[in-house]
Amino acid sequence: MTADLYRIVYCSRNTILGLSEDHAAQLETILAKSRENNARDGVTGALLYSEGCFAQTLEGPLDAVQQVFERIQCDHRHGEVTVLQAGPAESRLFGAWTMALAAPPDTAGEALQQALLHQDAGADVLALLNGLVSRGEDWLAAA
Amino acid sequence: MAARTGADWRPGKGRPRNGRSALAEAALERAAEGFIGMDGEGRVVLCNPAAAALLGIAPSGLWRPAPLAAVLARSTTLDPVSATALAHALWHGAPPGEIAQADGSVLLVAVDGTTGDYRLASLRLKPAPGRGGDPVDPMTVSNGGKDFHDRLTAMLPGPVALLLIGLDRFRAVNDSHGHPVGDALLQVVAKRIRSVVREEDVVSRLGSDEFAVAMRNPAAAQGMGARLVDLLSRPYLIQGHVITVGASAGLATGPQDGADAASLARAAVLALLQAKADGRGTVQVFNGAMETHSRERRQLEDDLRRALALQQFEVHYQPQLSLDDDGLAGFEALVRWRHPERGLVPPDQFIPLAEELGLIVPLGEWVLRTACREAASWPAHLWVAVNVSAKQLADRDRLPRAVAAALAAAGLPGHRLEVEITESALARNEVDALHVLHALHKLGVRISMDDFGTGYSSLSQLRSFPFDKLKIDRSFVRDLASSTEAVAMVRAISALGASLGMTTTAEGVETADQKRVVAADGCTSIQGYLVSRPVPAADLPGLIAKLTPATSAIAERIS
Repeated sequence: MTADLYRIVYCSRNTILGLSEDHAAQLETILAKSRENNARDGVTGALLYSEGCFAQTLEGPLDAVQQVFERIQCDHRHGEVTVLQAGPAESRLFGAWTMALAAPPDTAGEALQQALLHQDAGADVLALLNGLVSRGEDWLAAA
Repeated sequence: MAARTGADWRPGKGRPRNGRSALAEAALERAAEGFIGMDGEGRVVLCNPAAAALLGIAPSGLWRPAPLAAVLARSTTLDPVSATALAHALWHGAPPGEIAQADGSVLLVAVDGTTGDYRLASLRLKPAPGRGGDPVDPMTVSNGGKDFHDRLTAMLPGPVALLLIGLDRFRAVNDSHGHPVGDALLQVVAKRIRSVVREEDVVSRLGSDEFAVAMRNPAAAQGMGARLVDLLSRPYLIQGHVITVGASAGLATGPQDGADAASLARAAVLALLQAKADGRGTVQVFNGAMETHSRERRQLEDDLRRALALQQFEVHYQPQLSLDDDGLAGFEALVRWRHPERGLVPPDQFIPLAEELGLIVPLGEWVLRTACREAASWPAHLWVAVNVSAKQLADRDRLPRAVAAALAAAGLPGHRLEVEITESALARNEVDALHVLHALHKLGVRISMDDFGTGYSSLSQLRSFPFDKLKIDRSFVRDLASSTEAVAMVRAISALGASLGMTTTAEGVETADQKRVVAADGCTSIQGYLVSRPVPAADLPGLIAKLTPATSAIAERIS
């Protein structure tokens, strides 16, 4: 199983999410749909949304990751997709989540912008996602 | 995806049947070959379990007659382009024979006959190629321009928008990842296109990396073009590779931009070419100016082809002055086109076109012969320089032979001829070009590097061949007064030339100040309007006399 584990990390720009009070509801819709699909396809990962930017990682069997990634590309709610990292992975970093939500939007923004500036942005964004997933769940629960 | 029950596949079941037709149905149900029957309105009235399985269609959905295109659109084994092509082909009774499926296998399709208004088509899987057999290329069989042409024709003369979408940098994907990845990418591209257009829009792959979308709703077409350019430019994940290509689109609307499929397609092609010329990643809407531009270019092409036969070309000569003694050193031969209506056409307006049309080789050789003949009549210390294009350097033998013949015919010694090449011409095919240059050196001909400093691999090229001269690009000379960097460049190139045993000529010298600066910086000669603009051969005796100091003129006469 781990032999053909594949991971991709990318960021993109939000093109549709509007007022901040809508964020939670719209994020929840996106999350619910992706969790449903990912559970079926054996894909896990984490999503961060902040200040108009998405950062996301997907991990799973290559075919499944390719399908999910392709589905996400066709989503008009975001654009300017930049792949930060892609390749075979040793093990899952987000094995417990079909799609974890990382961090409350208001605090993750600066950290994300900082990470994107770095040479190895993929690794930085992964670490950021990893560090913030639990807080994201709390935020959504409170919202 | 096999049929679960035998009862669901008969559209219109429940009608009274006699024993023979029940038997026929039982046979169809058990047949290994797929059969699809259509009525005169293009609706599927029969689809046996084998056909449903081959196409990946749930047989339970087939109990009611349904339009062929709608049935095939549900296929899970065909990509949308192939499905469209198949629907179209079956409807017109001329199936393409082979249809590529998304997994790379190939369906063999035949129309087996028509009965009254009904038509029966058979489907079976093409046997996988054996070991050593030709691999199946799934992209070469899925559709074609003819299908699309027919469908577009059917949509005219009603309002129809034709979007032509070209992928940018697709060849690089094939080159770096291989054709299987390229083909898989095209399948995903087709899916992305299908995912945003309406069901009634016609999508087809036309060239290797071009797709066409014919839409009934012209008002939405430009927005659709922009959306497709954005969507297709997003990254792809193909067989573990992250791939990015760009897309450009051209849009033409019928009937105003073209009343028939061919002229509408032509308008869309012109718009796409404009989009690509505009830096790609854009949608260009066809307009009349594109047509005018294209017509003018065609006219220019025709004229250019004729010009060589009609001898409308002339060679003009621009002198180079040696900075050692301010004496005339030689002339660069420059081709001019005297068009019967346009007058003198500047070289930048026809040389690139001549290169493209392959006319540059005979034209270049004509200039070579003319210049050698002309130079033979000059005082013996003057040489002539002739420009040579990349195309002329591609053939290892042709140019050396042409040069030898021109020298012999004119009675001009090899050392009085200089051949000028640009950095980019050398870079395009360095191995063959160097072979040619060495052959020319053996004839005693000198080689100079033209427009030096504007290319990208200047220094490595200088090591690749013992050039006799560097011609410093006019842009450096033009900026001498305003830019200390330009001064530094001229000085550095001159020093480089001197240390490598090459002379240096500053091009485009127009003022006495520029002459003074380049002389101080170590250039050995100058060329430009300060000395003289290029002149026709008829004016040369006067110009030579004017530029030759009295003493050397006397020496020339005595010798």
